[in-house]
Amino acid sequence: MSAAPAASPTLAVALEAEDLRHRYGRRVGLERVSFSLAGPGAVAITGPNGSGKTTLLRLIAGLLRPTEGRTRLRVGDAEVPPAERRRWIGLATPDLAFYEELSVAENLSFAAEARGLAAPAQAVAETLERVELAVRGADRVAALSSGMKQRLRLAFALLHRPAVLLLDEAGSHLDEAGRRLVNRVVAAARREALVLIATNDERETGLGDQRIELRGRGLGDPA
Amino acid sequence: MFLRLLLLVWIAAAIVAGFAWAPTVPYLEETTRVLYFHIPAAWVTVLALGWSVVHSVLYLRTRKLEHDDQAAGAAELGILFCIGATVSGSMWAKAQWGSYWNWDPRETSIFFLLLIYAAYLALRSAVEAEERRARLAAIYSVAAFVAVPFLMFVVPRIYQTLHPSPIIGRGSEGGMDPRIRVVFYAMLIGFTGMFYWLLSLRVRTARLERRLAEA
Amino acid sequence: MATNGSSSGAAVWAILRKECRSEWRTRYGLNAALLFSVTTLTVVSFAVGRLSDRTDLLSAMLWVVLLFAALASLSHAFVREVEGRTMTMLRLVASPTAIALGKLLFNLLFLVVLELVTVPLFLVLMGGPPPRWGPFLAVLALGSFALGTSSTLVGAVIAQTRGRGALFAGVSFPILLPVLAAAVSGTRAQWQGGAVGADLRLLASLGLALLGASLLLYDHLWED
Repeated sequence: MSAAPAASPTLAVALEAEDLRHRYGRRVGLERVSFSLAGPGAVAITGPNGSGKTTLLRLIAGLLRPTEGRTRLRVGDAEVPPAERRRWIGLATPDLAFYEELSVAENLSFAAEARGLAAPAQAVAETLERVELAVRGADRVAALSSGMKQRLRLAFALLHRPAVLLLDEAGSHLDEAGRRLVNRVVAAARREALVLIATNDERETGLGDQRIELRGRGLGDPA
Repeated sequence: MFLRLLLLVWIAAAIVAGFAWAPTVPYLEETTRVLYFHIPAAWVTVLALGWSVVHSVLYLRTRKLEHDDQAAGAAELGILFCIGATVSGSMWAKAQWGSYWNWDPRETSIFFLLLIYAAYLALRSAVEAEERRARLAAIYSVAAFVAVPFLMFVVPRIYQTLHPSPIIGRGSEGGMDPRIRVVFYAMLIGFTGMFYWLLSLRVRTARLERRLAEA
Repeated sequence: MATNGSSSGAAVWAILRKECRSEWRTRYGLNAALLFSVTTLTVVSFAVGRLSDRTDLLSAMLWVVLLFAALASLSHAFVREVEGRTMTMLRLVASPTAIALGKLLFNLLFLVVLELVTVPLFLVLMGGPPPRWGPFLAVLALGSFALGTSSTLVGAVIAQTRGRGALFAGVSFPILLPVLAAAVSGTRAQWQGGAVGADLRLLASLGLALLGASLLLYDHLWED
């Protein structure tokens, strides 16, 4: 086993974007943006709909290839190329879906095993406790309400104790108890990871101690 | 401009020479002249496939859409020349062998190339976003190219050839009338030049279209 | 490829198990594929009757039935991920190569199950046992291997297009044609008592060449 993030102590994290830009075909997904962040800590990413919050998170996670510019991630002393990001990054985004025919625990076990975690069963059990979903562990995903699915997304992102936690609209579909859960999760995670919270919800933007604001025309460009 | 004119005159002269100057081969008689169109078309078919694959690999390495334009343009021209080669070959087969289609190894091979081109273009038309289209098409083109040499091996095992040991083929070239050879090579050069010219037009249009859409 | 050997092996294994479990719960692909191949087989058998003395036709028919069954089902492994929108989750836990290899193993397993039903039924309905089981099974195995590698790669490509399943048959056919040709030639040769070595080598090298190309191409499969 090489990188077993579950066992890793708190590592210094540095995340940079250099003239990062993305297009989907002819449509602009993210206007040019540059920033430099250091973790552990929490950062809020705000911006109107369509300004590219989700796109930015997907670029950081290595799911998208930037049209221009690049992202750089350093964890501890090691530079993590986009193709290796999945080991260090936990992403919860509203378009994340799970296998409906498998149970909650089976979905998470699959993720833990595919990630090569040292003790998958234990990681799954702990994470389910953490998002208060343990009682629903045996239920099929198809039977979950949208709020419960959102908790599962959080669990999926937290499962391998990532060094960078990317939360996209983390509070969506959640009730008051769920939102308090998000607050607790962020409060705990920010001590050991760099947490990026993409949202326009006042209750969540307050969780970050810095803020990156995406505008239609991008940060770096003079309008 | 000059090169285009030269190409026009070159091909026109070669066509005229092919009919008026070069003699026919015994047994083939007038059908000899299909040689000047059929084989250059088949050659361009193969050339275009190679060109397309090379640019597909280059696209995957560099992600420059110009390579995708080259790959797509070459494939679009390739299918045209491929149809030309297939139809002219089929007509010749009717005249010589008495039937348009016999699943002769060569017919099978050209038909296979036609299928690859058609599948490649069908795949392209099914993807909207141009980066994704370029990427998927490039992947497909490399995979299909890997399969090509195998078919060349396997086809003769399945279909007994009807092909007469080709009078036009390698071995007998020495005995061919030099005038036929001159016209043949002139047409080969002419077709290659035509391919290159059409391709550069196609790539330029694609580039302009993209610039227009971005502006 | 910077992926760590042991952990990507774990990912391939996890994906294979996940595929089997999903397939077992839903029987999304297998039922359809079995029904499809049995239907094709019945149509062929009903239309031409027994062919025991026409071994050339017999080997062609066998592979036509298998090819159609494969074309009808082997793109599902990826199409299902796209339609269930689970591709993002999958890409977050495994490398593209691990995903594709896991799917490839599943598709090969799928073909084995499919053939366990189709081939005996075919032999009973159409011909009778092959003269030599060794060469027959070797051609079947290597033919399925080549069929699996090529259709897995094409399936991954096709799942990202608008046509998805509809396009799969047409687009994978040119790549499958040499597989089909070599497999038919080998099956016919064993039926007629000839040597199958050349066809086996051809099928094996084609399968390996496509697998090798796939390993290079898999890294580019998903980027948006």
